[in-house]
Amino acid sequence: MSPNRRVVIVPCSGIGKTFGTVSREAAYTVVEDLRPDTAELVALSLLVLGDEEARAAVAEHPTITIDGCRLACATKMVQESGFTVARSFTVLDAFRKHRDLKPEGISSLNPEGQKLARVLAEEVAEAVDELAKVYPDNGGSDADSA
Amino acid sequence: MPILPKKKVGIVACSGEEMPEGTVSRVAALKVLEELRPNDTVTICLPLFLAGGEGDRAFARFYPTVAIDGCEKRCAARATEMYSGKPAASIVVTEVVRRNGLGPIRGSRRLNEAGMQAADLVAQEVARLVDQLLGRTGQKATPEAVVEEAAAEVPEDEEGTITLCSCGSGIPVQKVSVNGRVVTLIALPAIFEQFYKAGKRPGGGTTQELLEVTRIYNPIPPEEEAAYAEALAREYEKYCRKQVKGVP
Repeated sequence: MSPNRRVVIVPCSGIGKTFGTVSREAAYTVVEDLRPDTAELVALSLLVLGDEEARAAVAEHPTITIDGCRLACATKMVQESGFTVARSFTVLDAFRKHRDLKPEGISSLNPEGQKLARVLAEEVAEAVDELAKVYPDNGGSDADSA
Repeated sequence: MPILPKKKVGIVACSGEEMPEGTVSRVAALKVLEELRPNDTVTICLPLFLAGGEGDRAFARFYPTVAIDGCEKRCAARATEMYSGKPAASIVVTEVVRRNGLGPIRGSRRLNEAGMQAADLVAQEVARLVDQLLGRTGQKATPEAVVEEAAAEVPEDEEGTITLCSCGSGIPVQKVSVNGRVVTLIALPAIFEQFYKAGKRPGGGTTQELLEVTRIYNPIPPEEEAAYAEALAREYEKYCRKQVKGVP
């Protein structure tokens, strides 16, 4: 993990459902568009299967999970791997708040799905800012980088 | 023997979001699932699999799997082997890229042209493997009944003992009490359904037959055969009673 990136994002990684695609798109939006200098992705499978770099990133930085559905695989697996989840989000909750943004498609999201991912990403970005303030040790604030 | 759900191949993609090759694995898997072999493949959801999704793990014990990994860490293949059984075949994107002399793969979120080419090549290779595993040689999938459709007809019962894979791989499993402990039996709802449709009613001969068919899909220790037979007889009787009453 880059020394300036202080918050880890773990999306659900599911490829079988639309909500998994939204979670991944939201995660990419945070780390590539909204908070590229503060947040970094860690893949769930690497973490669970014991990859040292992935485990170190999650151990040393506050972690945000983005789950697709109520099964909450990302949150569950981060916790079962022995780590703490600082904040957790689900696509399902975001959709409940924005019923007009019904996501469709797995390979490529419909426009509503893309908007839902963006809305969720903005919520996650706020959480990144809050956590970055609480854990300011590795660099300056990037909260305004959006 | 009952006609059980159609044989399919499970596709497990590493889906690693942090590297472009992970995205290649995901795009290739979806291409096989949605375009190349839609009726012959199902996705095995790796996170659910890792989180203990019994339906997905059951599927991977029941059917052959192809693991698609982005890199040499082989998370998908290792996870499949850890929780179910060795994948029937395994593909690593970086090897396909090297073998075909493709340019650098870039863009975890949106693949560059080399990445899309890699995804196409990986998908074609997986489709060939699927055909091999299903005993075919290069022909397209047959548009016949699929596991999901058969499984979708199996509802969860009021005790919540029948479950399905949450991400659509579709193998029904049922929890049964054997010798005071709960065991999950793969395909049992489908076996019951087929027995019932074949007019087999609860009783001695049927119980023995149930035991033999259940054994094909589930390990039954010889010393526990009697206990399994008792459990199967009990559950099948319950199942038949529900059918007579018209309870789904």
